[in-house]
Amino acid sequence: MRDVWIAGADMTRVGRLQEPLQDLMAVAAHAALRSADRDRPDSIVVATMNPEEFLGEGNFASNVATHMGFANVPTMRVETATSSGAAAFYAGFAQVASGLADTVVVVGGEKMTHLPTPKVSELIGRSLDPYERSYGTTMPAFAALVTRALMARGATDREMAQVAVKNHANGARNPLAHFREPITLEMVLESRMVADPLRLFHCCPISDGAAAVVLTAERATVRVVGVGQGTDALALRHRESLTSFRATQAAASAAFAMAGFGPERIDMAEIHDAFAPFELISLEDIGLFPAGKAGPATLNGETALDGRLPINPSGGLKARGHPLAATGLAQIVECVWQLTWHVPPRRQVKCNVALAQSIGGPGTNNWVTVLESR
Amino acid sequence: MIEHLAASRCPECRLVAAPPARWCPRHPVEMTPTSVMGGGEVVSFTTLLSPPEGFRSPLHIALVDLVGGARLVCHGDKTQGLKIGSWVAIEAVGNIYYFSHLGALDRAKLFWRRAGRAGERMSAIAQSLAKRAWKGRLRGES
Repeated sequence: MRDVWIAGADMTRVGRLQEPLQDLMAVAAHAALRSADRDRPDSIVVATMNPEEFLGEGNFASNVATHMGFANVPTMRVETATSSGAAAFYAGFAQVASGLADTVVVVGGEKMTHLPTPKVSELIGRSLDPYERSYGTTMPAFAALVTRALMARGATDREMAQVAVKNHANGARNPLAHFREPITLEMVLESRMVADPLRLFHCCPISDGAAAVVLTAERATVRVVGVGQGTDALALRHRESLTSFRATQAAASAAFAMAGFGPERIDMAEIHDAFAPFELISLEDIGLFPAGKAGPATLNGETALDGRLPINPSGGLKARGHPLAATGLAQIVECVWQLTWHVPPRRQVKCNVALAQSIGGPGTNNWVTVLESR
Repeated sequence: MIEHLAASRCPECRLVAAPPARWCPRHPVEMTPTSVMGGGEVVSFTTLLSPPEGFRSPLHIALVDLVGGARLVCHGDKTQGLKIGSWVAIEAVGNIYYFSHLGALDRAKLFWRRAGRAGERMSAIAQSLAKRAWKGRLRGES
């Protein structure tokens, strides 16, 4: 297997955007190519979770490639629900590592703010088990069932709320973030109930946006040292644990096995905080904190920008936003920017090794990617 | 009243699935039909106040571990007073399960089956006295 490097990375602003999805993705991909100083890739891997239903458009890999002027470059689409961006990254990584391609553009994007929330909620909910979905179970309902079980094991309201407060504080320093306003613990704890015990400010927003990276076999500053995938049963009722995600644990151990080191070398991480408690679960699943310690560590400021292990310096899904298939790549873009000192100084974290974790659907197809700067 | 629900069992790992599944979610093995008693312990629950298209707020959803081994998702008319560990009865209407708080009689039957722990045995004995008064109603079940 050849070494794979990230030669370029870029993304659009995240939020309620007017441009068509093809435009957003083309803009991100061209910007990433420019930052990599490349004119043309050997291959394009596209990630969108559900353009068929959000937009009524199909054959989206060809759509994006043609739109950005690369009609003759081989392209394909990769989909693993909300982790599609990370899965597409893996597909691009495999092409370069195997020698099938030397330069690959991986681009992910989603557009959904034009639809009413109950519709978006129903469409995203289609990534749940069809039988459980027939009860009206949505992603927030799934997350609420997990959260209540987590609280029964000792997680507190304040710990979960602090995740959102910390990620908003980081988002306030990110010019591309969906939310740029700091919030307080009280605001989280008094926000509207969405799915008891989850409140509005525990949940990530519905966002539009796109992100892209350029992978190459040629030596660059950032090397992909580990990529791991983990899976689990689609139905919540068939899971062995409610308060941890087997898929994250498996993805992390695969990524660390490839990297040849463990969580102790991670300097910063981008974590899939679609719901605030998921950040606490994920930190423990990856092994960045011992079981039951991620919450207290968050309250102590250990995961803040100036903490021992900064988590979600971009603002995370909570504040940067969650344009589904763009998210896995936006996390990697933030890691690359942090590793190469391309973020504004007031958001910069000192790091040599960064980790990105992406959750697909209800934790059924998760990814962990580990990057190291030369 | 406690009813029995259609389910399936994995011949390899004994996992019970309700509603019945063709293949075991943990093994590529075909499951065999079985049935489970429609009562058990709440594992988690929520009230969804922003339901998806096609549902009305507030939507009560619980995850319940049945006495017979299966875990299932069900609806209820309220989650007020519900706790993790509460005992509920499950009723199937068509293909959809509904939970309700257990009546004393139903609870007695469940506790009787679990009468291994001291506290529960006491409870089971107490409840069984009540059960006797109603045995006509309960005959033919279990």
